[in-house]
Amino acid sequence: MAFDLTVLVPYLGQLADGALLTAEACFFAVLGSFVCGTLAAFAATSAEPGLRRIAGAYTGLFRNIPFIVQLFFFYFGLPEIGLYIDAFTTGCIALSIAGGAYAADVLRAGILSVDPGVVEAAKVSGLTRLATFRLIVLPIALRASVRPLGSVFINLILTSSILSTITLNELTGAAKIVASTTFRPFEVYFVLLVVYAGLTYLMSLAISLLHRRLNRYMAEG
Amino acid sequence: MIAIEKVGKNFGSTTVLDGVELAIAPGEVVSILGASGSGKSTLIRCINGLETVDAGRITVDGFDVAEKAGLAEARRRSATVFQLFNLYPHMTALENVMLAPTMVLKRPRAEVEAEARALLERVGLAARAEAYPAQLSGGQRQRVGICRALAMKPRYLLLDEVTSALDPEMTAEVLAILAQLAREGTTMLFVTHEIEFARRISTRVVFLEKGRIEVNLPTAEFFSEAGGLANPRIARFLSRMAAPEAAAPLSPAPTDAHEAS
Amino acid sequence: MRYADFTWHDPIILLQGLGVSLWLFLATSAIGLALGIGLALTRYYRVPVVARLVQVVAEFLKNSPVLVQLFLVFFGLPAMAHINVTPVEAAMITLAGNTAAFVYVIAVSAMEQVGRDQVEAARVFGLTRGQIVWRIIAPQALAFAIGPLIGLAVNQLQVTSLVSVVGVMDLTKVGNILNMRTLKPFVVWTVVGAVYFIIARLIAALGGALERRLRAHAAWAGL
Repeated sequence: MAFDLTVLVPYLGQLADGALLTAEACFFAVLGSFVCGTLAAFAATSAEPGLRRIAGAYTGLFRNIPFIVQLFFFYFGLPEIGLYIDAFTTGCIALSIAGGAYAADVLRAGILSVDPGVVEAAKVSGLTRLATFRLIVLPIALRASVRPLGSVFINLILTSSILSTITLNELTGAAKIVASTTFRPFEVYFVLLVVYAGLTYLMSLAISLLHRRLNRYMAEG
Repeated sequence: MIAIEKVGKNFGSTTVLDGVELAIAPGEVVSILGASGSGKSTLIRCINGLETVDAGRITVDGFDVAEKAGLAEARRRSATVFQLFNLYPHMTALENVMLAPTMVLKRPRAEVEAEARALLERVGLAARAEAYPAQLSGGQRQRVGICRALAMKPRYLLLDEVTSALDPEMTAEVLAILAQLAREGTTMLFVTHEIEFARRISTRVVFLEKGRIEVNLPTAEFFSEAGGLANPRIARFLSRMAAPEAAAPLSPAPTDAHEAS
Repeated sequence: MRYADFTWHDPIILLQGLGVSLWLFLATSAIGLALGIGLALTRYYRVPVVARLVQVVAEFLKNSPVLVQLFLVFFGLPAMAHINVTPVEAAMITLAGNTAAFVYVIAVSAMEQVGRDQVEAARVFGLTRGQIVWRIIAPQALAFAIGPLIGLAVNQLQVTSLVSVVGVMDLTKVGNILNMRTLKPFVVWTVVGAVYFIIARLIAALGGALERRLRAHAAWAGL
């Protein structure tokens, strides 16, 4: 069988639908993991040892267990306790929690790199702990963490392909269907690899732009 | 009034402050002199609550900084200018000055902005209001730091070696502003190495050594032969500080140079 | 339903699954390590065309999902090349290739950190290429690379779980089977997750000990 991409033309719509679903899932996953990561990083850098332990357990656990196992735990486990949510929501939640564990470690490092003197200036001026974190610590830490956070988000895009194993027809799931209807798995999966590589490339471009934009005036020393 | 009563502070086994008694009344400009490690900066950090005291008590207008509510009130009444400026690097000069008045005092933005611009104008930085700290020179940064403190309209200004990180030219810029504030009657607690300047602007001079107040005298008395200079330690300290070129090979070495630590 | 309960046999098949996972992990790590380092040398010696090609392929593998790479090998290769590929073979090819891509990137950056001036100095002293690589570059590059390589190992252990999707009887696949039979997902996936967690921590601990030894040696040699 010769390598022939034209056989895929009739199925482009189907693949585009899948890509759209992937984009939606990644959008929610990026948001969710950012929120989880920020909360965990706040806990991990707090003065409270109990909070630090909880944050450490969270990142340790979700960084050391394969995502597919986490996904099955939620997908098969949640209905067990009476929580019936659809595959898409389950997938977004699982991605957010797993991505949050990685984002937390990145943000924690960013927070620890913030000049303590700047934090003292905020404290002395009367800002509350939460306001200091929100207005001073987090914005500075984020600027330092744009690139490593970008890597976490790129990994989320790649990991989202695993959502196809819980019956979700995102990009990989849609491709599986196209592969079995056309009997052209090589072409389908080859194109799929290119599409994912393209998506991550776009993401990394966006990250670079954001990094440069946010750090325009941050160069010091 | 800032009242410091029998304050003690240890870092591990080192005693940094030992029974410090000091009162700063409104309108006073009190300079604190002393060698490095004498506890000067720690005293300021205890007043603004960045360090907790191990003994004694500090009150600002009667509000005890050891209590949570008291500290919040004390921090509204005082403002600190730092040695290394500690400006918020992600905010413009104007935003640095405006942050606390809008967020802590909850004052309307427009009003705060007008005041902030006026303050920056006063220190000669009107044109640099939209610049970020990284785009400013050291002296300009410290002038923003002073504006940031003044924007809170503090009753007491705490200045922690605010010119130590600046070269002589920039030091002059900053000192000129502080001198003007002193003339206007701003209450200041001024930790410094600038002896001549302390002599010119302060109403009172305190000499700290090894965490204890060695001398606490009105400025004229402190610098008189019969007053502060009669104390051998102060005389030694002043002669050492007054000769910054002491390190240069051609100038005569102070007799007690080997005691300097 | 009696047969749906856990049996004394279940821990044994879990262990068998673990054995498959570990074996796959070790085998593909070894192949990937050797392949990745070999490919990194093409970059270091600036082999024309090959070096560039390797770089592009490595970036491509790093920036696409392993699951799709696995599908390409398992479903695509037989259809395109008319050869038979078993699930285990597909898993081996994919994981080894993927590991090699990451090792390549780590090795290239580690060798760049060693610095070419040292190589030039060694050349002046008349060392052969092989001697330079083996005696000058390798020990120092290893000190730079060991941390990232341990991180990679912990990650690649987790990646082996994807082979369950094409039917390899690894730990995750056994979990799937037990899940379907007993309908006790919480118990099954907690146990499976715990086993992965323990192995991952073990790898990290072993790697950490190795790193400390290497660094101690490097520090001593540097004096």
